[in-house]
Amino acid sequence: MVVFALLVAVVFGTVARDTIPDRMKYGAKVFAEFMVIGLALAWVLYFIPF
Amino acid sequence: MTKAERSHDTKTVATPPQAWLMGTAGWFFPGAGHLLQGHWGRALVLGGAVWVCFIAGLAMGGHLFSINFGEEQSSVLLQFPPMIANLGTGLLYGLCWLLDIGFRDDPVQAARATYEYGNTFLLIAGLLNYLCMLDAFDISAGRKA
Repeated sequence: MVVFALLVAVVFGTVARDTIPDRMKYGAKVFAEFMVIGLALAWVLYFIPF
Repeated sequence: MTKAERSHDTKTVATPPQAWLMGTAGWFFPGAGHLLQGHWGRALVLGGAVWVCFIAGLAMGGHLFSINFGEEQSSVLLQFPPMIANLGTGLLYGLCWLLDIGFRDDPVQAARATYEYGNTFLLIAGLLNYLCMLDAFDISAGRKA
């Protein structure tokens, strides 16, 4: 999940923004979103018995 | 400025033929669309991400999708969307098809713990390359810096 989030964040950041600081910020934001949502979903699904 | 004035100001700019070439190059060989335009840094980052994603997917034992008309109609339809995603990797998909790597329905491969991860990586590699292809197209067409 970390590798996946990293690769997608790199591409999204590079494609979606024009300056390097903006790319870094957006890439970090996308990476954090993937990680937080992924972990939150994993915990939610852990408690569902079916 | 009113809406009518704004729409009057909008000019239709023809897309240069070179942009189509760059887009096609970017699709065919991940990173080539940017490399041919001299954006080597962007080519390295974007192309590298697609290559790493694809190779990681194959290493994890992922499956590449293709249309097999010998199967039921519903099965053929279900294989169509992932095949479009896989096709995004261009040459990589073609090479694997020629060498028959990743296309076989192998139960041993499907039983691997990383099989589904591999599938996802292969699908995402293709979809990311579509984004890179559009980026190369936009740069060449002058719509992006």
